[in-house]
Amino acid sequence: MRARSSRWLTSWPLLAAAALVSPAPSWAAAPASDTRGWLGEELPLPLAVRTAQDLAVKAAAEKQYLIFNLLAGGKLAWDAGDFATAAGKWEALLRVHGLDPEIEKVIHPLAKEARSRAGGKPTTADDDRPLAPREPAAGGPPAALLPPPESVGRAPTSSVSVSGTVSGGGALGPGGAVVWLKRAGGDTPRPNPAHGKVVTQRKKAFIPHVLVVPVGTKVSFRNEDPIFHNVFSLSKPNDFDTGLYKQGATYQQTFKRAGIVQVLCNIHSSMLGVIVVVDTPYYAQADASGAFTIKGVPPGDYQMTVWHESSSKPTEQRLSVSPGGMRGLSLQVAGDKRPPQFVPDKSGKPRQSHIGY
Amino acid sequence: MTARSRLLVLSAAVLLPATLAARARAQAPSPPPAVPVLDAEPEPVNDSEGYTPPTEGSGAPSPLSINGYVDVGFAHAQGDGTSFAPGDTRVPLDYGVDTFAPAVNSRGDVASTDPGPGRTLNGFLPRSAGIGGRPSFLLNTLSVDLKYTAPGAPLMVFSRVAFLPRYMGVDGDGTRVVVEQAFGRLVPFETQELALSVGKFDSVFGIEYLDNQANIRTGITPSLIARYTTGQSIGAKLFYRIHIAPLWSALSLNVAGTNSGNFVESLQPPDASLTGTPVASGRFGYELNAPVLQAKLGVSAMYGPRNDQFDRTATQRVYGADARIAVAGIYVNAEYVDVHEGPGTPKTTSLGAWPVSSGFVARGGYVQLAYALTLDLGPLRKLTLYARYDRRHAWFEGFTPITVERFTGGLRLDLWDAVILKGEYLENREVAGAPTVANNVITSSLVYSW
Repeated sequence: MRARSSRWLTSWPLLAAAALVSPAPSWAAAPASDTRGWLGEELPLPLAVRTAQDLAVKAAAEKQYLIFNLLAGGKLAWDAGDFATAAGKWEALLRVHGLDPEIEKVIHPLAKEARSRAGGKPTTADDDRPLAPREPAAGGPPAALLPPPESVGRAPTSSVSVSGTVSGGGALGPGGAVVWLKRAGGDTPRPNPAHGKVVTQRKKAFIPHVLVVPVGTKVSFRNEDPIFHNVFSLSKPNDFDTGLYKQGATYQQTFKRAGIVQVLCNIHSSMLGVIVVVDTPYYAQADASGAFTIKGVPPGDYQMTVWHESSSKPTEQRLSVSPGGMRGLSLQVAGDKRPPQFVPDKSGKPRQSHIGY
Repeated sequence: MTARSRLLVLSAAVLLPATLAARARAQAPSPPPAVPVLDAEPEPVNDSEGYTPPTEGSGAPSPLSINGYVDVGFAHAQGDGTSFAPGDTRVPLDYGVDTFAPAVNSRGDVASTDPGPGRTLNGFLPRSAGIGGRPSFLLNTLSVDLKYTAPGAPLMVFSRVAFLPRYMGVDGDGTRVVVEQAFGRLVPFETQELALSVGKFDSVFGIEYLDNQANIRTGITPSLIARYTTGQSIGAKLFYRIHIAPLWSALSLNVAGTNSGNFVESLQPPDASLTGTPVASGRFGYELNAPVLQAKLGVSAMYGPRNDQFDRTATQRVYGADARIAVAGIYVNAEYVDVHEGPGTPKTTSLGAWPVSSGFVARGGYVQLAYALTLDLGPLRKLTLYARYDRRHAWFEGFTPITVERFTGGLRLDLWDAVILKGEYLENREVAGAPTVANNVITSSLVYSW
């Protein structure tokens, strides 16, 4: 039963797409006024959520609703001769994660044509990939980006800041805690990779000790010690191994998946660092006092996660971000996790760091 | 000049410069193509430069760390746990104990060294758990590590104190507090992989000392040759390593001068130097640390006066070779030793005077194969299956050589980050020089680490 529902949910936009685009000449005959009553303008959908299944159904329905509205809205704009809007909606549609390939096949040439007629340049090859919505630029308009589900059909919602203080963390204190937000019941925009991220090996230590980066970020590991170093991680799926490299040399590693990446040196068992890879643009790292600020957050409901090196588990909680933003959040991380007694070598075998090799 | 000629000259005059110009254009470097203007990908609005805790003061990692473990287990040895065959009246009996001795726990204790009424043991003995052939719970070890890393100085101080129940005497029921390690390690040069340690430390011989604790060893029991390579002693050691980056390789040298050798003996603690002459030991190693394959090879040697002799001409000499290979979760460890102790003079042990110190020769080794599967099933983090084959051929000079072999198989479960559960079966076989005796062992170990 569940499988049938799932198939139905995923196939009806395809049917709608076929019906909308197959007889191209008939498009022009469809008056825009016919859309009233069937082209939705509002999200979230007023579906009751009482159970986890309800939440899943609502999320699926909203995704399909979004696909339908971008698809149909693009056609209405085309019909009205507003090729820029048509191009914008279809380009946004093509960036939706998990878009049915048949829809993509139908819409892709139309979107290019619409963009061409609008006088703008076609989308780049990179943008042709179906993607989750991209993180907006700092302070810039989310022009070619998929609007968050809540704002479909509305003017773009202005983003706000979420700030607060992390406490706890045991003897190390809260410094370095990583706080991130993901949309509750909707797709979180895909973050832009950060650039110029460097972890140096200096005096047999990784500096910074904890680094947070968005998915897709390339991190450079630079050896500033006058001895050889290695960097490796066994943290799947971000495991890697740099091999040996000498002073001044740099190795780059792209972190493609979200997760906590423990970074070690196969030569020096005392070296340990952490890279926190997040798949959201809404993240921040606490300073030594625990203070943090996440910028550019659209108002809405979020799942908030707080990770700290000294906590055995991340702290998670729901958060509703109001249009005025949030200040003075007080978050707590446990200090129940101690540094590991043994660190593994790159084959996974534990090493006693006091031996020194 | 005809009209046709004039037309040709005119054509040439017009076309030649054009043709030359075209050729010149073709030969001239073409102008660089216009650089396409791409939309720069915006930087994340929440970019972070990372966090490094201060080295001192509030929020700095503590320079002192305290770790340790408790090892409890349940073991059952066949027979009376001694490996003495009924009716075997050879003297001295402890020669048999050394060569048979199936271990029942991570310390290498045997189930019993009790020879029975009317007979006394002395000499070269393993430690005894004192449980005989009775299935028993055991408190094997309580071990506490203290490590101090000096902020701003290349110095580390480490101590390991072990509380060892039943350690006192042959079958004692006391608990002995043993300072297994206590040393300072200095790394004097930032530009060199060189470390100097002074104090009481692990052996530098072979590889088994690297995981000779219950909370780090793959299985439960040490190998048959662990008694010749894993003892701690007091002195100084130096480690030096050089890397060969293009080959993903390294060469290392580890040398030590200590009061005594690396034998593990219950009756002759290795702290004191009886002759004043140090024992020299060392290992030369090669490492290949390729992305999918890690291989470490080494040769070791030890030479010096016997641990139990005041006469420095009574020497001990041990050679060894070792190999470790890790690939795709499979670990192979192998080690071989050749032990030769020359004959000595009468000696005094903790059990009293002993009239003879025979020469002793042992050749043996082991191969261990382990497969580790990393998991995330509730508390289960790792499952390891392992098997080991040991063989030892040994004799005291003037007595019959005894050859034994041992098959060990077991399962290890790593739970959370703090608990290890192991179960192991040891099948011991007397191959030559001794009657077959029932001395197989089933043992288990539960290790809590903190």
